[in-house]
Amino acid sequence: MTTQIKLRDCAKTFADGTRALAPFDLTIEGGETIVLLGPSGCGKTTILRMIAGLEFPDKGGVITFDGDDVTHQSIEKRRVGMVFQSYALFPNMTVAQNVAYGLKVHGVSRDESDARVKAMLEMMHIEMLADRAIDQLSGGQRQRVALARAIAVQPRVLLLDEPLTALDAKLRVRLRTEINALLRKLGITAVYVTHDQEEAMALGDRIVVMQKGEIAQIGTPRDIYRKPQNPFVADFVGAANRLDGQMRDGRLHIGNHVFDAVDAFDPRHGAIIDQGPVELFFRADGLSTCDAQDADFTGRVEAVSYLGERLRLTVSGIGPQSVMVDTHADDVIAAGADVHCQINPDRLTIFPAMRERTPAASDAR
Amino acid sequence: MSWLSNIKEGRSRPSLPLSVFGRAAPGAGSPVVLAFLMMPGIIVVAAFFLIPLALVVMRVADGPDGWATYFVILTNGWYFASLVQTLLMSAGVTLTALILCSICGLFLVRNQFAGRSMLTALLTLPLSFPGTVVGFMVIMLAGRQGVIGSVSDAIFGEKLVFAYEISGLFIGYLYFSIPRVILAVMASAEKLDPQLEEAARSLGAPTWRVVKDVILPGLMPGLISSGAICFATAMGAFGTAFTLATDIDVLPMVIYTEFTRNANVAVAAALSIALGAMTWVVLFVVRCFVGNSTDVAPRGGA
Ligand SMILES: Nc1ncnc2c1ncn2[C@@H]1O[C@H](COP(=O)(O)OP(=O)(O)OP(=O)(O)O)[C@@H](O)[C@H]1O
Ligand SMILES: [Mg+2]
Repeated sequence: MTTQIKLRDCAKTFADGTRALAPFDLTIEGGETIVLLGPSGCGKTTILRMIAGLEFPDKGGVITFDGDDVTHQSIEKRRVGMVFQSYALFPNMTVAQNVAYGLKVHGVSRDESDARVKAMLEMMHIEMLADRAIDQLSGGQRQRVALARAIAVQPRVLLLDEPLTALDAKLRVRLRTEINALLRKLGITAVYVTHDQEEAMALGDRIVVMQKGEIAQIGTPRDIYRKPQNPFVADFVGAANRLDGQMRDGRLHIGNHVFDAVDAFDPRHGAIIDQGPVELFFRADGLSTCDAQDADFTGRVEAVSYLGERLRLTVSGIGPQSVMVDTHADDVIAAGADVHCQINPDRLTIFPAMRERTPAASDAR
Repeated sequence: MSWLSNIKEGRSRPSLPLSVFGRAAPGAGSPVVLAFLMMPGIIVVAAFFLIPLALVVMRVADGPDGWATYFVILTNGWYFASLVQTLLMSAGVTLTALILCSICGLFLVRNQFAGRSMLTALLTLPLSFPGTVVGFMVIMLAGRQGVIGSVSDAIFGEKLVFAYEISGLFIGYLYFSIPRVILAVMASAEKLDPQLEEAARSLGAPTWRVVKDVILPGLMPGLISSGAICFATAMGAFGTAFTLATDIDVLPMVIYTEFTRNANVAVAAALSIALGAMTWVVLFVVRCFVGNSTDVAPRGGA
């Protein structure tokens, strides 16, 4: 009973000429949770609205739900559930009336509707709020009502546009866990938009990373995290450290250091990088502190931040930009000190160097 | 049971103590200070409103019929007819203005087109015209020498003249009301949240339902306040009726006639009180009724 969604050759140019999306293909399997992830303005909401039927793709684009062409169908007919960042609850109705609204519109009988609303409210743990007015609810409660309202009509697909962004950090994590459990339980096809990498990893069966109206990578959270396919994705999912290097005869040269046995596979060209300038991306775990005699690099500590179980050092003098290095929480290191670092070659993601870094990649943070 | 603690955290709106300004304004000082600050207002209201009102009320008793004058205005056919006529006319004008302006206001807010601001300016132009000018314009349009009369004369050989009838007055009042209502509707329409409409549509609501369940409730506060002003203005409008010098007797005209021509001060006073009271009652009832049924009126007294 789950719905597969296919978008073929869908592009979007707005009336004012803004090209929000370049033509793309995307298949969302029935029951799958897809997360659209990317920086502000990259077109996530536009894709979501296209699936909903609130925007229509440029000529040539086709959208199908389980093989039915819905490209020109308006939102009322598509049976989609929507959850917005701003909740969009009807202020002139109580909680129960909000949840019952879709059922009323569909002509569901009073008894059945009452039963369904009760079940929905119980599922979202808000049954005691049934008769409250919307302006008497907290943000988290509102978002629960919005979810209950969207799933009450048993939509073919659930579309969520940054539903947790307006909530505080702790509640965000808790609701995220609940939404995750809910989506598994319902087994519904879901599209979830966020710009929060952690949220994307936690919720998505697959993640679609977007950059400036194009899909930069589609993959499981593990793929996206460990095998980013381009510098933009690497940077966006947290591999923010960057060094320049050279590949010569299959060996990696960084400054005067030479490393064997590195995974220099270029996913974009499907080939091992053998020669030429390269860019290295890695997280804070790509470098570790060590004694002077084992050191690959020596840099200067610019700043120290305490992360609880680790200390994160901002170190200059190793690459063209300062890099992040993690060390033990009980190490005593102050800004201004010299620090010795060892590189961890299998934590590096290597790309052939581009002439310039794409501006988007640096915009992303 | 994490959700349980969350529900407990969830704030339920504390019932705010109602102060003179409807709700407690933190930092605005104690009720005593506020009451003191309100003194000038109270004095003005007392001197220029309550005292004359009391005098008018008293004058009724000086008439030949004494307090029974109030009864007379209900039993005398002419007075009563003018009461009913004024009431119906004002209600009709208000409803028509609200319907027309809701449609136009929504259209103007929702659509970008060349000449949009020109059109808005044009629609709100009559704002600056007094009732007498509006009456004059109605005569130019539908009077004996009016445009409509000349055109219909040329085409059908019959002069269409309605400036001095109830329809002429109706048009004049409508013309007078539209700018005020349309500005209020546009202000409310701009505040409508488009995502509410999208949410309703995603739940399967066809257009008429979206209008009924989302747009109208959203516009309602603006419609109520501008409708109230429109109704009260129409009830008391004098300039237009006076200029049209019609066969219809709207209440302000009757009061004028009784007072200046017939020197029937007691009846004029009783009619004035009736006019004020009726307007107030209608507004009160509408506000209670609509306010409760849609639950959009601000709590704590509209
Ligand atoms: N109605 C519109 N008319 C013109 N341009 C638009 C319209 N809606 C969106 N855009 C543009 O399309 C691009 C993509 O917008 P979109 O809302 O999809 O971004 P987003 O990824 O959801 O960003 P955010 O994270 O900030 O919500 C942006 O450049 C935006 O300015
Ligand atoms: Mg968005």
